[in-house]
Amino acid sequence: MAPDDAGQGPGGTETELGRLRRSLERERRARVEAESIAERGLRALYEKQQETLLLEAIAAAANEATSLRDTLQLAVDRICQYTGWPVGHVYFCNAGVSPALDLVPSTIWHVAHPTHFDAFRVLTEATPLAPGKGLPGRVAINGQPAWIRDVGTDSNFPRAAGAIEVGLRAACAFPVLTGPHVTAVLEFFSEATSEPNESLLGVMRQIGIQLGRVVERTRAQERLLYDAFHDHLTQLPNRALFMDRLQRAITRRTRYPRYTFAVLFVDLDRFKTVNDSLGHRVGDELLLEITRRLTGALRREDTVSRPAPGAGPEDTDNTLARLGGDEFTLLLEDIRHPSDAVRIAERIREVIAVPMNLGGQEVFASASIGIAVSTSVQGSGEDLVRDADIAMYRAKGLGGDRCAVFDATMHHRAVERLQLETDLRRALERHEFRLAYQPIVSFPDHRVIGFEALVRWQHPEQGELSPAAFLRVAEETGVMTRIDYWVLREACAAARQWQTRFPHDSPTSVSVNLSAHGFGRSDIVRQVADTLQETGLDPPILRLEITESVAMANAERARDILMDLRALGVRISLDDFGTGYSSLSYLQRFPVDTLKIDRSFVVGINQNEECREIIRTILNLAQSLGLEVIAEGTETAAQVHYLEGLGCRFGQGYFFSRPLPLDEIRALLLRGADDKDGVLILPKTASAS
Amino acid sequence: VKGIVFNLLEAIVVQQHGDAVWEALLDEAGVDGAYTSLGSYPDEQLFGLVAAAARKLGSSEAEVLRSFGRNAMAILAKRYPEFFDSQVSTQAFLLTLNDIIHPEVRKIYPGAEVPVFDFDTSSPGVLMMGYRSPRKLCALAHGFVEGAAQHYGEPLTFEHSQCMHRGDDRCVFRIAFN
Repeated sequence: MAPDDAGQGPGGTETELGRLRRSLERERRARVEAESIAERGLRALYEKQQETLLLEAIAAAANEATSLRDTLQLAVDRICQYTGWPVGHVYFCNAGVSPALDLVPSTIWHVAHPTHFDAFRVLTEATPLAPGKGLPGRVAINGQPAWIRDVGTDSNFPRAAGAIEVGLRAACAFPVLTGPHVTAVLEFFSEATSEPNESLLGVMRQIGIQLGRVVERTRAQERLLYDAFHDHLTQLPNRALFMDRLQRAITRRTRYPRYTFAVLFVDLDRFKTVNDSLGHRVGDELLLEITRRLTGALRREDTVSRPAPGAGPEDTDNTLARLGGDEFTLLLEDIRHPSDAVRIAERIREVIAVPMNLGGQEVFASASIGIAVSTSVQGSGEDLVRDADIAMYRAKGLGGDRCAVFDATMHHRAVERLQLETDLRRALERHEFRLAYQPIVSFPDHRVIGFEALVRWQHPEQGELSPAAFLRVAEETGVMTRIDYWVLREACAAARQWQTRFPHDSPTSVSVNLSAHGFGRSDIVRQVADTLQETGLDPPILRLEITESVAMANAERARDILMDLRALGVRISLDDFGTGYSSLSYLQRFPVDTLKIDRSFVVGINQNEECREIIRTILNLAQSLGLEVIAEGTETAAQVHYLEGLGCRFGQGYFFSRPLPLDEIRALLLRGADDKDGVLILPKTASAS
Repeated sequence: VKGIVFNLLEAIVVQQHGDAVWEALLDEAGVDGAYTSLGSYPDEQLFGLVAAAARKLGSSEAEVLRSFGRNAMAILAKRYPEFFDSQVSTQAFLLTLNDIIHPEVRKIYPGAEVPVFDFDTSSPGVLMMGYRSPRKLCALAHGFVEGAAQHYGEPLTFEHSQCMHRGDDRCVFRIAFN
């Protein structure tokens, strides 16, 4: 069949036919053109719809995501599905960690055929990239998606050979952006070379922003979680995290009985002094410096220690925590022997001992360290920390700047002490304190010139306790000041009664001891003044006794306080004199009335020439300064005789009288009132027994 | 069947035999012939036109379909050059049918029923190509393959080793490139 050659007819028809043909041809072309426009439109619409579906799926996942990793995995899968590209992968950006490791390959992959791309996978996971290097590096630096037509001809694609080997040619990548920061790069590979697809790059840019929201949110969550388990100042684990790690160590020990660990309780000595004298800012700096030194010391330890059995890689580090204040705890995992813990503790003391410069000031720090080893206990984490704490207190009790290893007897002592502390706090409320009064006597007539008020604790279970049994705990717990004030009030009230009931020309004085704490209180002068006013006691009758060592500890301040007290009209005695290394120049300027020779010298009179020499010196000193001297602890006639011989005029001790309860003092005073001269003489028979 | 198939058929018939023949085929098949590439039309219309052409040309329907496929390829190559230019050989081109060309077809013609081919490239120089479709248009596929080979200037030997028309459950083409 031949083509139909139309237009053979008469001229007019031919022209008409030709015109119709051309017209038909135009219509045909217009239809084809219209169809192809429609086709392009449909194709664009289809792609737009697919893009929208992809974006919606990723946005929805991003909204609900709790794990960044899961969301990235989903994004890689969906994008590969959408593009039909067989390989997708994620690089993480660790800006600032190390320049060489800025882009770290993740293990998040999409691969179309399970094993076909294995070689490329292995290569990629062994290829961290510097900024600017390779496709991910370029994206990380520009913050923009990028496209490689063919990795085989690209000049900056280090993995090219590996990619080509498995048949990958075109590549594209886009950044996950949080604000201006690139936190990850997603890369995709096609088996065919391919020209850049601007529309796809646009979609990827948007996906990157969606994923960035997940990064921000999970980071915020991680931050919250981190804050809940870390100390704000030092960023060290806090108590909660420490206890968690400790519990894990205990659990591990139940599974691996040879696994040994230790808890170190590190407490800085005199940290409060640093805080008080140099300010909290310097105190914080000190804690930060200590943290740096401890972590540094432990890092060196870690490099020689081995991982714990059954432990994941994150468990191998020793845990240093800050419990608060200047208290640090350290969990040493999998030590070979308890002595390892002691060695590390000594190492810690060494690094702390190096002087540090804080705020232009050279500061010397030291620490007391308590050690509890897992072999010694079967208890809970709390028990172990408590044991280390007790051992630390033991180290402090021995003067600080040392280590102590917990043993069970410490626990007994600690419990006893805790009990004593508890009882002591209640003793005042329960009126368990009593005063005894020991007469102070003049030589040679044995006339009573005054009484020293001595506190006794009538313990509900242990019976009467002298201050020696509870003084230290009372001072450490701050109860001592309250006891001081109670004694002061009680003694003043008693003395006032005696004054009223047994008026006398030269009334007997009452001596009250002030502890270091009581004397150190800023309100001590007001307390004394108030007490005098409330009890109505004639001030000169009250003698306040402070020990020589307390007075000399801060002599300038002591002098000021003593001046103020003297201004109230009361008299001042320096107790335990001879033991406190007085500076003579201070002594001259102290407003003191009486020196009380420490009992240790009096007791030594018979055996020790040195004691006798000291007593002679004190008496000479007192004479030249115009001070009275009272010898404490006089127990024998020989001592009294010797003291009298040196010109000592007053004494106090069992030779004359033991401390007497209030009712016996009343009886004594009553007898004195019967005396025609009103002179109170101790009956010879009652003494020296 | 999508309208584009009718458009291609018309273009080829008109090109080779003239407008009148196409008009005659339409009349004989009893269809009105207004096809737009984007529309969908009953399969019977295509089969009717093919049968009419076979009668008119004194040829078998299979021959008509094969000739149609072979000639249609040249038109498609002119209209959609990107699918042809991106590949270097007939085999490479055929291998993109499932993953590239047919997905693209579906983007433009939602709901288009395109066949899925299976390929075996394990023997060098030989492509085993499987075809399965209720329309049993293996002759058209044969023509398309030949048209593609013409486009790439590659001579080939085509062996229709299994055929649904001969009772096989699918068609298998053994295509050898020389």
